[in-house]
Amino acid sequence: MKRIFAVALGILTAIGGFLDIGDMVTNAVVGSRFGLSLAWVVVLGVGGICVFAQMSGRVAAVSGRATFELIRERLGPRAALANLCASFLINLMTVTAEIGGVALALELASSVSYLLWVPFAGLAVWLVVWRVKFSVLENVTGLLGLSLIGFAVALFLLDPPWLDLGRQALQQVEFSEEQTTTYWYYAIALFGAAMTPYEVFFFSSGAVEEGWKSTDLNQSRANVIVGFPLGGVLSIALAGCAAVVLLPQAIQVSTLGQLMLPMAVAAGKLLVAIVLLGVVAATFGAALETTLSSGYTLAQFFGWSWGKFRRPIQAARFHLVMIVVVIIGMGVLFTGVDPVLVTELSVVFSAIALPLTYIPILIIANDPQYMGRMVNGRVTGVVAVCYLGVILAASLAAIPLMIITGAGQ
Amino acid sequence: MTAEYPLDPEAATGRVLDGHLHLLDRQVHDVASVPVTAVSDLELSDVDSIENIAPGTPAPEIVALLSGSVLGTRIFGGRPPPSRLQRIAWSAVDQVGVVIRLAVKGETLDATWSERWVRDHIIGRIPGGRHDPE
Amino acid sequence: MILSDVLGAEVYGDDRLGHVTDVRFVLGDGSSEQAMPQARLHGLIVSPHTKSSPMGFERTQIRSPWPIAQLEHWLHRDSFLVLWEDVAAILPGRIQLRPAFTRYSPRLVKAAVPEPDFQ
Repeated sequence: MKRIFAVALGILTAIGGFLDIGDMVTNAVVGSRFGLSLAWVVVLGVGGICVFAQMSGRVAAVSGRATFELIRERLGPRAALANLCASFLINLMTVTAEIGGVALALELASSVSYLLWVPFAGLAVWLVVWRVKFSVLENVTGLLGLSLIGFAVALFLLDPPWLDLGRQALQQVEFSEEQTTTYWYYAIALFGAAMTPYEVFFFSSGAVEEGWKSTDLNQSRANVIVGFPLGGVLSIALAGCAAVVLLPQAIQVSTLGQLMLPMAVAAGKLLVAIVLLGVVAATFGAALETTLSSGYTLAQFFGWSWGKFRRPIQAARFHLVMIVVVIIGMGVLFTGVDPVLVTELSVVFSAIALPLTYIPILIIANDPQYMGRMVNGRVTGVVAVCYLGVILAASLAAIPLMIITGAGQ
Repeated sequence: MTAEYPLDPEAATGRVLDGHLHLLDRQVHDVASVPVTAVSDLELSDVDSIENIAPGTPAPEIVALLSGSVLGTRIFGGRPPPSRLQRIAWSAVDQVGVVIRLAVKGETLDATWSERWVRDHIIGRIPGGRHDPE
Repeated sequence: MILSDVLGAEVYGDDRLGHVTDVRFVLGDGSSEQAMPQARLHGLIVSPHTKSSPMGFERTQIRSPWPIAQLEHWLHRDSFLVLWEDVAAILPGRIQLRPAFTRYSPRLVKAAVPEPDFQ
């Protein structure tokens, strides 16, 4: 009985952990402009993050090492430093977006001004990182994030034209106001939202934090293979809601309020409240993960001691980095920049930087010196190399597309 | 490929270590498995008349692992002055594996001074810093 | 001297032979006080076509992931090892070998790194 509970917990946490402000905003924007015609990207992205997370989890469990330590060893300091700079900056952007997202959701829930919530959100993030145990952190935010099932509930309640939605998803209906280049720009943005690098830093460092051995791998495989796709389904449901309510009215999502509109239409304030709880939890959880990732990446690159399992005084520089990151994030938000805009940019930059993180993990997952007999099997190997091609293509196409489309205008 | 060249006589003895492959950029853990630093460079012993090495001159040995500012100079060029090198003596090394294990505690080393500084001046002063997470 | 003085240096025999991509050390028999025996420089690994690190691909016969392994094998084809005895001079950024130096295979059959403890 306890085993089943543990497994369920893991899966549920994965679902709640999959969605963050980047997923939610990008899917809503895409739904309001392209309907479900980009749903295939979510499927592709979920597949990719499953492969990626699995490999990095296996590497961490078998070798006992976390991602960034291995990146420096395998690729050398020059490449690792470039990687570190890119990843750290994107992480910082994402932390800013997530803290902003928490504040926006709290504003919607309370009518208290967003800027007043920012310091509250930032402080809360830091306090949890400072004092709360890793497993508690994961489980609570993951479980509360499950209220995002409200997206799926809303979609059903809206009684959508399922045939039309299916047609959008499968037959790529043309939208006259949108251009092909914009379509592909958002495809890359959605891909970057699903395959966020911080997820991998966090996942593999978490595996080391919790002392995973290779016997724990089956559990993690279940969590990932069941949890992430279910999270992906919720993303698509969100896009579907936007497609049904906002697309026909040509309302393009640019605020969190618009994102929540379909929920209000579907079932009024109660559903909005439930989903908002989920948004706060999922975004808060993502804020914790990205803050920790900033600490992990820097500490692992330099060889500092790190980890939430250590007392802060035993991992001083690690904690200092995280404090600085949260302060910078709040500072950026205080300048009045729109967190939704920061979110939209952060997912595209994630897609650009993805190869830098993916390639080292791929190399190490194949290296018997680190993995013994548990190197990538045949099937995993082929799938992983295919995804390498996709990731490289997305990364290379991102900047030209961003310029051509003016970042998706 | 390189099949034509004869095999190095030491290649199969299990006593060989490649600097770049096995030592550089490896994490260093102390005797209690607490991370100390990452190896940024290696200090080798000096060789007599290195610009014109007489046959039979003994080969240099690894004197110390280097970390700290030498990372910057390794990437961008140049070399920090010898007094500024953060050294971990080779004699402190216990084992070279997936990480480099030392036989001493991290506290005693030069390389951890910034950790101790941050701990004493910043983190240690924030309430709750000394407690286990709950 | 430090390792990065040697790593990446250009290697000359009669002509330019390539760059040092790694430095091989051999462990002594070790005195009883030290955990780790002394590590003496054994030789230099020279790569004619590239300066980059081969990340171990050409020495340990790793074959996957396929495209990256292929790339690394190609970049580091014709790499060889020269022993310390064949090194005539180490100058800043440049290494001169003795006239009749021998090329050895860079292949590592068994390193001093113990097998990782797989949990």
